[in-house]
Amino acid sequence: MLFEIFDPKAAPKPIGIDLGTTNSLVACVRNEKPVAIADCNGEILLPSVVSYAGDEVVVGTPALALAQEHPRETIVSVKRFMGRGADDPETRRLGPYEFDDTPSDVNTVRFRVRGKTKTPVEVSADILRELKTRADDELGRAGGAVITVPAYFDDAQRQATKDAARLAGLDVLRLINEPTAAALAYGLQTKKNGTFAVYDLGGGTFDVTVLLLEDGVFQVKSTGGDSQLGGDDMDRAIGGEVLEQLGWLAAGIAKPHSLTKHPKWTPAVVRLVLDQARQMKHVLTEKDAVEAEVPLPDGGSRTVRLTRARFDELVTPLLERTGVACKRALKDAGLAASALDGVILVGGATRVPAVRAYVKKLFGKEPLADVDPDQVVALGAAVQADLLAGQGRADEVLLLDVTPLSLGIEVGGGVVDKILPRNTTIPTAARGTYTTQEDNQTGFEIHVVQGEREMVSDCRSLARFTLKGIPRLPAGLARLEVTFRVDADGLLAVHARETTTGIEQTVAVKPTYGLDDATVERMLTEALDFGEEDLTKRRVAEGRVEAQRIMLATRKSLDADSDLLESGERAAIESATSTLEAACKGEDPRKIQNGIDDLDRATKGFAGRRMNRAISRAIGGRKVDDVGHEVAHAKGIEHAHDTWQK
Amino acid sequence: MDPFSTLGLAHTFDIDMRAAEKAHRELSRALHPDKYASSGASERRDALNRAADVNEAWRIVRDPVRRAEALFSLAGVEVGETKEPKPDAELLMDVLEKREALSDAKAAHDAGRVRALVEEVTAREKHIEALLSGAKAFDASLVGKLGEMRFYRRFLDEASSVMEQLEP
Repeated sequence: MLFEIFDPKAAPKPIGIDLGTTNSLVACVRNEKPVAIADCNGEILLPSVVSYAGDEVVVGTPALALAQEHPRETIVSVKRFMGRGADDPETRRLGPYEFDDTPSDVNTVRFRVRGKTKTPVEVSADILRELKTRADDELGRAGGAVITVPAYFDDAQRQATKDAARLAGLDVLRLINEPTAAALAYGLQTKKNGTFAVYDLGGGTFDVTVLLLEDGVFQVKSTGGDSQLGGDDMDRAIGGEVLEQLGWLAAGIAKPHSLTKHPKWTPAVVRLVLDQARQMKHVLTEKDAVEAEVPLPDGGSRTVRLTRARFDELVTPLLERTGVACKRALKDAGLAASALDGVILVGGATRVPAVRAYVKKLFGKEPLADVDPDQVVALGAAVQADLLAGQGRADEVLLLDVTPLSLGIEVGGGVVDKILPRNTTIPTAARGTYTTQEDNQTGFEIHVVQGEREMVSDCRSLARFTLKGIPRLPAGLARLEVTFRVDADGLLAVHARETTTGIEQTVAVKPTYGLDDATVERMLTEALDFGEEDLTKRRVAEGRVEAQRIMLATRKSLDADSDLLESGERAAIESATSTLEAACKGEDPRKIQNGIDDLDRATKGFAGRRMNRAISRAIGGRKVDDVGHEVAHAKGIEHAHDTWQK
Repeated sequence: MDPFSTLGLAHTFDIDMRAAEKAHRELSRALHPDKYASSGASERRDALNRAADVNEAWRIVRDPVRRAEALFSLAGVEVGETKEPKPDAELLMDVLEKREALSDAKAAHDAGRVRALVEEVTAREKHIEALLSGAKAFDASLVGKLGEMRFYRRFLDEASSVMEQLEP
C-alpha cells in the first residue's frame, strides 16, 4: 500500500498550461476544484522570458532581469513568433532581436543568440519545461497536458505549439482555445447558464468568443480575433511616444512599427524603451498621468511624461480593431449584443481602463469582474485535462468548440473554394465536388488552404498533394470528391477520391510551415539523449498506461450495460483482458499493443450497441435500431473507418 | 445521410428549432469523442464519426437553404444549381434590378435605402419559407424555389456587408 502511494509512476496527474505571451502558468484539479500551481517561492505567474545570455538557459523572473543587459539573447514574448516565417512582418516590428535570414529558413523565424540559432519552438519548449518541472515537484508526476492557444491561431501556430510541448517532454492531451478554457472555468465556478462573450486581450493576441453555457455543455457559437494584437502593441505605441519625446524619431519615421530603423535604436535602447513603456502602462491603469526617468546611453537621463488621456488616444486604433472582430463574431453567432447575458474579460491587458470602457460601450453592458483574468485560462485547461483523463465530472461537462478559420482548396484562377466555413462545430466532415479543367488531365493537384480571403495568395497554405492515375478524359468529365474531416482536436484530414475510377488518397494535414517531423524527432533525441533501450522502456510504460485505461473503461461499461452482451461475448472480452494483463507484466511493447488491439476487437460489437443506447437516450423514445441504422449508414462512414487517424 | 433522422426530426421544413438544438446538444453529450477518451481505438473512431454526423446534420437543418435542399434530395429530386431547372427570366431581371439598387445605395451611402431593400427581400424569403412549410411533398414542381432562396440569401449577405461598411 505504502509502495503504491509513494510510487511516483502510480498516478500521473493531468495538468493545464496557459502558455502566454507575457506570462505562463500551470494548474491542476484538486478536490474537484482547479488550482494554479506556484513555484517554490509562491509565485504563480512565470514570465514567458527565456535568456540564453549565459551557459545555462534561464527562464522566468531571473531571465527578465537579464533582458536589459542582454536584449538580443533574452527572448521576450516569443509567442508572437510561433509558426511564423522569416519574412513575416512581425520580425520587422520594433524589437531588439537579430534574426537568421539564410534562405533555408523561410519556414521559421530563428533568433540569433551567441552565435547559435533558436527557433520559437525551442524557446517555448524551455518555458514549458520549467512549468513541467514545477508540476512534477508539486504532483509527484505531471501527466497529460492540455495547453491553451489563442482561438485565432492558425494550423501552423498550433503545430508549433504542439512541437514545443513534445520537445519539453509533455504528453499533449489537447490544445484548447484560450477563451473557451476561460469560459469553462468561469461557467463551472459560477454555475451560470446563458450566452456569454469572452473578450480576451493578452500580451500578443486578441480573441473573442461567443458561447452558450447550458447544463454543463459549453457550446462555442463563434470565435474571431487577431493573432497579432495585444498589450505589447500598447507598449509599442507608448514606446513610440517615448522615442518622440527623446527626439529619437527621425524625420519621416512617424511610428515605431515602421520598417526603417533609426540609428539610435540599438537593441539595448529598444528593450529599455519597451520596458519603460510597459511600466508606464501599468501606472496608468491606476493614475491619470505618469512621469518616468529614462537613462540615456551617455550616462544622463531625461524625464518623459504621459497622461491617461494621451494613452487612451494611442490605444484607440487598437481597440477599434478588437471591435471589428467582436461585431463579426456576434454576427456569425446570429446574435445582437443585447442578447448576451454577460461579457467575461480575460488577459492582463483587460486591466487597462480604456479597454474596460471600450468593452462596456461595445456590448452595452458592464463586463463581469468575478474572475482573475491572469489565471482563468489555465484553470479551464486543468478542468479539460481532468475531463479528458476520464476523471472528475466527465459525465456532466462537455466542450463543443469550432473551427476558427475557414478551410478550403484552391480552384481555377487561384481562387479559394471554402469547404468548411469558419465557426463550424467540431468534429465535423464536409465535402466538395470538382472536375478537370483540361482534356486528358491525369492528376489533380490538391492545395489545402486556411483563411477568410477569396484568393489563395492571401490565405495560409496548409498542404499540397496530387491525386494521380486518373484516366484520360475530356475536360469536365472526371469527378473529384474532396472530403475534409476535422477531429475533436481540430486536426484536419483530407480525403480525395475520383468517383468514376474510385482512385483515392488520404492525407493527414500537417502544415508546411513550422518544423517537419524529422526535425522535431532529432531535437527530441538530442534533448533527451535517448538510447534504444530507453525508447523501448518508454514505449512499454506508455503501453501499460494505455492498457490500464482501456481495461478500466471496459470494466465500467460491462458493469453499466451487461444486458447488451451477446452470448459468448463476455467470455471473449474476459479472455482478451487477461491476455492483456499478462502482456503488461512483461517487457515487450509489441505484445502490449497486440493485447490492446485484441481487446478492442473483442469489445467492438458491444461498444456499438452501447453507443446506440446512448443515442436513443439522448433523443428520447426512438427505437434503438432505427437510429442506429441511420447513423451507421450515414454518408462517408465506409471510408471514414480507414481515414480517421487513431 | 438523412440529417432529420439523425436528429430525431420529421421530414418537414417547418422544424421546431429549439427541439432540434436540444437534440443536437444531447446527442453531442452522448457521442462526443471526449466521452470516449479512455475507450479503445475502434470505439473512439466510431464516436468521432457519429459525432461529426450529428454536427453536420445540425448544420444542414438550421440553415433554411440547406434544409430545403436536403428535403428535396430525400424526396428523390436532384438539387444543385446545375441540376435544377433554370430560373425564369422575370426573376433574374428582378434580382438584377435589386442588386443594382443595392450598389447605387452603397455608392450614395444611403443606409435607409439598403434597409428598405433588405426588408423587401426578407419578406420574399419569408414567403418562400412559408410555402415550403406548408408543402405536402417536395417534388419537382417546387424545386425552382430553391434557386430563388439562394438568390435572396446571397443578396441579403451582400446587403449586410454593405451595411457594415455604411454603419461600422
